[in-house]
Order: sequence, then structure tokens, then C-alpha cells
Amino acid sequence: MSFRKAYKLAIVLTKSQLRGYQRRRLIARLFGDPRIILVADALMFAVPALLAYVLLSGILPVEIRNALREIETQSLAGIPTAIAFMLILFGILSEISQPVQSSSTDLINWLPISPREYVGGSTISLSYTYSFMLAFMLGVTLGPAVVFNMFPVWVVAALMSLLSLFIGACVVELLRALTNRISSSFYKKSGRSGIFVRLLLTIVVLVFFQLLFSGNIIVYLLQGLMQTVRAAWFVPIVWPSLAVLGGSQGDILALSTFGLLTFGFLIALFGLAVGARAVFWVPVPVSIRLTNQTYHPSAGTKRFLGLGVAESAIFRKDIRSLTRRREMARLLAIPFVLAISIAVSLYPISGTSVPEGPGFYALIPVYVMPVAIFCAIMSMTSIGQEGNAVWNLYVAPIKPRQLVRVKLVIPILLGFAFSLAMLVFLGFVLRIALADFLLLLILSVAVVLAESAIGLYFAAKFADFRDVIRSRFVSAWGSLFGTFISLLLVGLTASPIFVSIAVRGSVADEYVVLSFAIGLTVFLVSWKLAERQMTKLFSEIRV
Amino acid sequence: MKIIVGIMKPDSGNIEVLGKDVVQDPTGVKGIVGFVPESPRLYEFLSGIEYLDFVADVHGLDPATKQERIVDFLKALDLEGRENDLIHGYSQGMKQKLAIIAGLLHRPQILVMDEPLNSLDPRTARIVKDLIHKLRDDGVPTIFSTHVLEIADAICDRVVIMDNGRIVEEGGTSELKAKAGSPGSTLEEVFLKLTGSSDTREIVEALSR
Repeated sequence: MSFRKAYKLAIVLTKSQLRGYQRRRLIARLFGDPRIILVADALMFAVPALLAYVLLSGILPVEIRNALREIETQSLAGIPTAIAFMLILFGILSEISQPVQSSSTDLINWLPISPREYVGGSTISLSYTYSFMLAFMLGVTLGPAVVFNMFPVWVVAALMSLLSLFIGACVVELLRALTNRISSSFYKKSGRSGIFVRLLLTIVVLVFFQLLFSGNIIVYLLQGLMQTVRAAWFVPIVWPSLAVLGGSQGDILALSTFGLLTFGFLIALFGLAVGARAVFWVPVPVSIRLTNQTYHPSAGTKRFLGLGVAESAIFRKDIRSLTRRREMARLLAIPFVLAISIAVSLYPISGTSVPEGPGFYALIPVYVMPVAIFCAIMSMTSIGQEGNAVWNLYVAPIKPRQLVRVKLVIPILLGFAFSLAMLVFLGFVLRIALADFLLLLILSVAVVLAESAIGLYFAAKFADFRDVIRSRFVSAWGSLFGTFISLLLVGLTASPIFVSIAVRGSVADEYVVLSFAIGLTVFLVSWKLAERQMTKLFSEIRV
Repeated sequence: MKIIVGIMKPDSGNIEVLGKDVVQDPTGVKGIVGFVPESPRLYEFLSGIEYLDFVADVHGLDPATKQERIVDFLKALDLEGRENDLIHGYSQGMKQKLAIIAGLLHRPQILVMDEPLNSLDPRTARIVKDLIHKLRDDGVPTIFSTHVLEIADAICDRVVIMDNGRIVEEGGTSELKAKAGSPGSTLEEVFLKLTGSSDTREIVEALSR
């Protein structure tokens, strides 16, 4: 194994991670250099370390300091396991959101680089890219460690965390190689159903990890982890934490045993990752057959939903894009994440009586905001998702206003489906009254229409066609500005209802009508603006 | 080329394609032009047949015509049997064939091709060359760019030699050879002479050292 080659590869892989996002020259130059990670690491380490030290040296009351002293050992012991877990998580998410184009142009496959050199380089790159998380954790715990005379334990924790960082990276490498082969064989055999299963799995993984990051669940897990870490001594991922615990109690035997076991585990995992890469990696994109049936153009699929033939063709293409592209799955995961988060937050309400009056009014934003966010995101990403293949639309004999019409249909349809599902949930689980049900229904129609249209305006104005890792499909500024305006317009649409609640203590019918009228006006104005912007996009094509 | 097909705006002047102005009526022009880009980026999440079906629908072909043409082209360009595979798994040559079919599917009145023979196997390249001749005989002109001057010599009735974005010379192949003062030479030699880059010996020697 050539360490020089692995090191060079690590630099290239890190640059590709860093430069996947930036566009402006100054930002690209500043944040495209791998040394920026070192700067970030230094800041993430030094600032919390100093802050914690200053606070604990006298500013914080004694009770809090005592409480912190008690959890310092747990925190230090938790860092190695947490860092490995987080690296695996980010690695998986990065794999999921990688666009097809960037994974199929893998230069590495035909360069004289051995699996050992590749895994070495990739592991270093991955660990280095996410090292800021470790720097932060070590920074936060350094201050208390110094104040509470636990510096030697902190040093052990730092060493074990570094090993854990590499352990996490090796697990990601192992998963990459295995999933590459499994998915290749799976798709080859299962075709269309394989793509569907991949979509479902991706959504499940995204929802799972998204929920895992909600504050309550993390606290619950950390508490559970530290309670069970000793009982789980046979699980290698907790060995580094056990070494730290041994160090904190002056148990040299436990420290050295679990320290050595951790090191051995890292070596074994690296060997496994190298072996998996050598045996399972399939460099050539696998050919997926959707069907074996003979081609028969279906006349029945055209001209539905009032769309013309060309518009219907684009609609079908966009639906296929949504259900077949890995990077689009995260958009489809949004309603599930939002719905589950809301269900969790509403749980106490469902345990009480039927929500009425103030209880119900509090539900209005809880219901409307997710619907608005979902429609705005779906709409804002609808143009940029064409990627480099957008020339297919540019050279097609279609008018910008036709494209606007078809691009509006998908967010509106999905938005209605999502809002209806939410309404059914609220209706059955919370047993809301029919009048309240109708109020939410009318409001959701207005919000879905308004948000889809304004989102499309921003999609056309700030389209980002780059096929990069974790592509946003809309520029960073467009995304921020668009989200801000979208939220503002939701507020505007729903404002008559809240005015009615504030003034009269209930929602009067005329205020609901006014709210709907505002939503409809926003929809129509935004539609016109989107048409104008799309015409501009077509006349100032960037190819 | 991009201006002709309406995907780039001219800085000045105007282009009319069969009487239609590309700026005033871009949709009309796109309906009568067939375009094959240099490195076609296709919708990789579609199968070959789905992509062609999409292009045919966008051009408004009726189902019967659509089916007939797609099946014929797939057979002619050796894509039969792979049409239900996702484009993601296609080779560059297969993608190029698909882009060529997409450019021809609506029977364009003028064909614009940017390096159309890139990545094609000899059989398909021959088919495309013959097709260009056949289309010319049927009154459908083809404008195409190439850096391989043997291809231009074999296919073109009229050649425009460009250097650094400017027209250096234009005319029939024999006319150009005569203008360059070397009637018996190849088009490549004519090009090198006209663009003042004929002396390549030093470079070759330096490279082979």
C-alpha cells in the first residue's frame, strides 16, 4: 500500500466533498480548500473550550458546577460512541443524496489504486471532513475536565474518540461496498419493483434519522446508552467508551484491555472494508430493466388533468423522476417527517378531550405550516431538478407557460394529498368538529395553491441545475429568500382567520372566505410571475 | 448551433430557420429542427423507450406514428432488446444513439448535429452517414460540426472552416482544396494550411522524446 497515494486520494475526495456546494468564486476559493476544515476544527474546539472554562471557573453557581461534575465522566465516555454513530449517519445520508451522475463518473475505478489505498484515502477523507463534530465535543468537555481535574481522562477520551472516528468511517466504507453489490444484484433481478423498494427504504431511513435527531429522543438515547454501556461490553462499538470509563475509575486493566480491543477492532474493520471493496465493488453502473413487455404507446395516458399531450409527457417524466431518483427521495420523505413530528407533538392533546375553541385554534398553524412547507419545497425544487438534462426541455417545442402549468400540477396534487391525509388524521384521532374540519379544508386549498405558485416563481428565478452531491435544485439565496416569502404569504393567507379569532373569539364565515380569496389572489399573481420568470429563463438559457 | 436551435441568444443579428425567426418564434423553430448535442445529457431515470416516448409526445406525434418510428429506429441503430433498461446503465455510444433517434423522431425539416458520430460503433456511424445523405436527397439539410475532417470530407457538400470562432474559409470540399492550392491533398491538410498550424513535426518530436 502506498501511503502517499492514499493521502493524495484523501485530498481529492475531501475537495470533491467541499466543492460540491459552492458557486461564487470567493466562497469557492475560501471553502474549497481542505485546510478550511482545520480552521473550523480549531474554532469548534477552542471557542467552547474557553467558554466552558471561563463559565466553570467562577461564573456558574456551585449547584450547577456540581451537577456538571457528575455528568462529565458520562459525557467523556459517551463521545467515542456518539462520534462513530454520527459519522455512520452522515455517511449514509451522503450516500443516499448522491446524484446518479456523480456516482457513475467514478475516476477511481480505472486508476491504478488498490482497494487498500482507496479505503485508506476515503476513510481519512471522511474522518477529516466530519472532524469538526469531534473537535466540538472535545472542546466542550475540555473546560470541565481541566476545572474538575479530569484532564487525563479527557486525553483518553480524545484518543478513543479519534479511533472511533476512523471506526465510523470504516463502517461507512464497508456499507458502501456491500450496498453497492447488493443493490446492483437486486436491481438487476427486480427492476421496477427494486426501484420502488429503494424509494421506500430511503424514506424510512431518512424519517428514522430525522426523528432520531429530535431533542427528546437523543436525550433518551444518551441516558440509555450510558446505563447499558457496561452491560453491552461485548458490542465492539462501545469498547472505546468502556476504555474511557476504565480510565476515569483508575482501572488500568479495563483501560488497556478495551483500548487495545478498540485498536484491534479498527484494524479488523479496515481489513473487512478493504476486502469488501475488493470483492463486492461494482464500478460499472448496473443496467436496470424495467419491463420485458413490447412497447405499446398508451393513448389513454395523455390529456389528463386538463393537460395537453406535451404537458402530460413532462408530468409523467417528473413523476418518474420523483419516484426513481435517490436524491428526490428526501423530498418525498418531508411529509412523513412532518406528519410524524406533528403526531408526536399532538400526542398530549389526543389524550385529552375533543379540542375545541382555543385548543383547536392552536392546531391551525400546526396543520397549515407543514402543508405550506411541503408545497413550497416541492415547487421550489421542480425546475432545478432537471439538472444538466434541462436542454431536453429547451430544445423541445414547448412554451414557457406550458411548462409552468405542468410544473404546478405536481406540488398541488401532492399538497392536496398530504393535507387531506393530515385532515383525516386530525378528524379521526382528535375528533374535530365538522365545521372546524371544513375550515381547515378551505384554508389548506388556499395555502396549497398559493405556496405551489410562489414556490415555482422562485424555482424559475433561482434554478440550480448543477448535478452535485446533495444538490438543492435552487440556489442558497433563492432557497432562503423563497422560504421567507413563502412563510410570509402563508401568514397573509391565514391572517383573516386569526384576526377573526382575536376580534370575535371565533372564526366567522366571511373571514374564511376572505382568507380563501387572499390565497387565490396570491396563487393567480404568483402564477403570472412564474410565467414571466420562466419566459426569462428560456430566453437567458445557461448551457 | 445553439443559437439555431434556440438555446442561446445571439449578441447581434438574427437567424431565420425556414422563414421562422429563432428569437421571435423559438417554439416554432424547435418544432422543425432536430438537434443532437455533443454530449447528450439524458434523463437517466427513464428507460430508453420512455425517453423516446417523452420526446415523441413533446413533439405531438400520434401513438401509431410514434410506435412505428420508435420501433424502426431502435432496430436500425441496434438498441432493440435494451430499450426497457434505464438510461443510467447505457454506454456512451448507446446514449449517443438515443440522442440521434430523439433528434430524428419528429422528421425535422433541418437537422443540427454537434459531433454526431462521437462514441458510435462503425456500423452505426455508417448508418448515420448514409442517413444524412438520404435526408439531403429528400430535401432535409444537416448542419453538423466535427473535428474529424475525414468525416467532413466523406459526408459534406459544403464545409465551413472555423478557427477561434471566426470563419476562415467556406465552400465545397474540392473548392476548398483548390483554394488552398493543393487539389490532391486531404481536408485535414487544407485545414492545417488555412489555419496556419500545419507544422506539427516539432510538437510530435517533443512528445515522443
